Amino acid sequence: MLALVAIACPLCLLRAQAQEESRSVWDGVYTEDQAKRGEPIYHKECAACHGDILTGGESAPPLTGGAFLANWNGLTMGDLFDRVRKTMPQSGPGRLTRQQDADILAFMLSVNKFPAGKTELYRQSEMLRQIRFETTKPAPKK
Amino acid sequence: MREENLKRLRSLLFLSLAVLLCWPAVGSAQFHPKDTEWPSYGADLAGTRYRPLDQINASNFSDLEIAWRIKSDNFGDRPEYKLEGTPLMVNGVLYATAGSRRAVIALDPATGELLWIHGEHEGKRGGAAPRQLSGRGLAYWSDGKEERILYVTPGFRLICLDGKTGVRISSFGNNGEVDLKLNDDQDIFPDLETGEIGIQSAPVVAKDTVIIGAAFREGMTPKSMRNNKGYVRGLDVRTGKRLWIFHTIPKKGEFGYDTWEKGSAEYTGNTGVWTQITVDEQLGLVYLPVESPTSDFYGGHRPGNNLFGETLVCVDLKTGERKWHYQLVHHPLWDMDISSAPILADITVDGKPLKAVAQPSKQGFLYVFDRVTGKPIWPMPERPVEVGSVPGEWYSPTQPIPTKPPAYSRNGVSIDDLIDFTPALRDRAKEIASKYHLGPVYTPPTVSKLEGPLGTLTMGTASGGTNWPGGSYDPETHTVYVYACNSCIEPIGLVSAPKEVSDIAYIAGTAGKEVEILHGPGENAGADSPKSPKKRQGSGYISLNIDGLPLVKPPYGTITAISLDKGEFVWQIAHGETPDAVRNNEALKGLNIPRTGQETYNIGTLVTKTLVIAGEGHVTTTADHPRGAMLRAYDKTTGKEVGAVYMPAPQTGSPMTYMVNGKQYIVVAVSGGPYSGEYVAYTLPSTGE
Repeated sequence: MLALVAIACPLCLLRAQAQEESRSVWDGVYTEDQAKRGEPIYHKECAACHGDILTGGESAPPLTGGAFLANWNGLTMGDLFDRVRKTMPQSGPGRLTRQQDADILAFMLSVNKFPAGKTELYRQSEMLRQIRFETTKPAPKK
Repeated sequence: MREENLKRLRSLLFLSLAVLLCWPAVGSAQFHPKDTEWPSYGADLAGTRYRPLDQINASNFSDLEIAWRIKSDNFGDRPEYKLEGTPLMVNGVLYATAGSRRAVIALDPATGELLWIHGEHEGKRGGAAPRQLSGRGLAYWSDGKEERILYVTPGFRLICLDGKTGVRISSFGNNGEVDLKLNDDQDIFPDLETGEIGIQSAPVVAKDTVIIGAAFREGMTPKSMRNNKGYVRGLDVRTGKRLWIFHTIPKKGEFGYDTWEKGSAEYTGNTGVWTQITVDEQLGLVYLPVESPTSDFYGGHRPGNNLFGETLVCVDLKTGERKWHYQLVHHPLWDMDISSAPILADITVDGKPLKAVAQPSKQGFLYVFDRVTGKPIWPMPERPVEVGSVPGEWYSPTQPIPTKPPAYSRNGVSIDDLIDFTPALRDRAKEIASKYHLGPVYTPPTVSKLEGPLGTLTMGTASGGTNWPGGSYDPETHTVYVYACNSCIEPIGLVSAPKEVSDIAYIAGTAGKEVEILHGPGENAGADSPKSPKKRQGSGYISLNIDGLPLVKPPYGTITAISLDKGEFVWQIAHGETPDAVRNNEALKGLNIPRTGQETYNIGTLVTKTLVIAGEGHVTTTADHPRGAMLRAYDKTTGKEVGAVYMPAPQTGSPMTYMVNGKQYIVVAVSGGPYSGEYVAYTLPSTGE
């Protein structure tokens, strides 16, 4: 189907791609339902170290606030997703499914007050790399 | 007798002369650390983080280039993103701990070439350890011939290695190791494999005695009021034999036992020394910065002042006997562990020479004492503090407040502290703050309620002020340099703990949230997680920042220079580039905001002949540099920035410096976010090549 569209309208595909590349965490990259799904997984798998309101512990970094935002600003959701996949949870890195990791990230985005949208956060690193992590809300388009 | 003394004096003079003549030759008959070396975690046993080197100075700091770098990814079965070590450099070799296995590595200090590596595979014991990852460092000892490296594994075993080869010294302990879970005047429960006790700091060696403290898991949400105790021990560096022990929670009949009412000294634990210990070898005195007792924020099960919790204790180097103590916080309720090395300083106050010890703190006070007598240099009166209303809690009506020097970072939260960049932002900050109880230093925690307060909004508690990196000290000018987080807000709310979660009446938590047991990194979170109690009505997640802006006014992080002769600030600056979230914030467009510094608490400083050097704890992207962090140098007399050099990731371990082959190097540990741990060595470009 995609191939058909590509043949029929190569420009449309290019345009879609360009739009995709310009997305950031401010563009509604997860859904409220997904964040709700991620919340209990966060509490089961992450909160023990990162805290019940994501403020971190003595040894685990916060997942909200200045240091967290600064660490990831200018990177992509793919970078954040891969870090989680590779190293978390600490007791068994990679133990969770890609879907669970994506749901946890959706919950983290909601706690950090990035807006929800109509499509769920992807599960594939390559696709997530198209979503920029930006701490500052872009100026409204005129 | 007099003649004997004269003879001794003559031989001392001869020895000093010989040392002077030999200096800086390497490999002299006796071990005399040189100014060009970095022989212990804090540069010296006084915890100064000072070296009088000046090849790298204001005129060339920005020219620094990377001499070598070493990633820690392969020193363990998984990469580490929290590399906190400070290496040593002695006798032409650089030693460090690194990686998720806490490996010991020996490197050529000029090239970074790996000379040897040692790692301990501890299995379940390592996996269950409360303090994992690479730790802060190690200790070096030499009698002039033999060289030894000592470190503590995550599983709490003291390992002694040959500094030349990395092979265990078989004559030390049991084939090169001492099991620190044994011979500790207590039975570590539940068993040696999983019993909670460990340490992440570097051991200290003074006059052939190795001194080791103890650390535990996070103390905000303990499962029980009972825990293992964090005693401090001195061991013979030659044999590993225990020489002494100091009971940080007194045993029955010992001084201080009665400060634990209702027999609570029997079951309360923690109260360890998890940070760096300092020693005055000449006086033969050891300075122990003791942490909080079990349960950071609720002390209802340990009524009384709780000696020696959050107390600076001075003990005898040979016997471990207490010489003096000063409790900085009575009946600890705020997680104000004494978190960094006491700094030893010979100062002059009102024309009188004094041997002092200066203690930086989370609460932003620099406590200064006569280190011989333990008497405060300046008055430290007991002042009344708020008494809280948490059921079952025991409150100290007063706390000691130093009159000099003034607090060098915020240690409470008031409406005046909230951001005021614009009226709209201030209103939002006030709205958030209205959900909490506010107050000055030592405002007690509250029970978290959905209708409010959700807790006490504190600063200078768990993560504020100065944490484990501590301060630096310039013995030439009698000045302490200390970094502090001036914006690390900690909401402390208490929730009733379900019986299946904890036997403590209240643990840290937020009304409406599931009760969680907080773990340190690497703890087996899956296996240890308690069954989740029934979920309650949510209160929503209160973000303590507004569109990426901290709730409080800048500066967010500072370095302060404090004269110990006067007890006054020499200068104070914001340390760290303004965060991207602030600099690029739409709401602040058009406002001229001076450099704010950064909201982080892990920054250590280094002092040289002319500079104070510290890296940034946040990543920024500016017109001057791509995404990364800067290692900055300040004129130590004025605080004026004189240079900066790019780092690929934030500073996570404190910088150190040394000279080798006529060149000065600065080594710093960086990591965080997506960047795994790396030691980076900087030096000046070689000229004429």
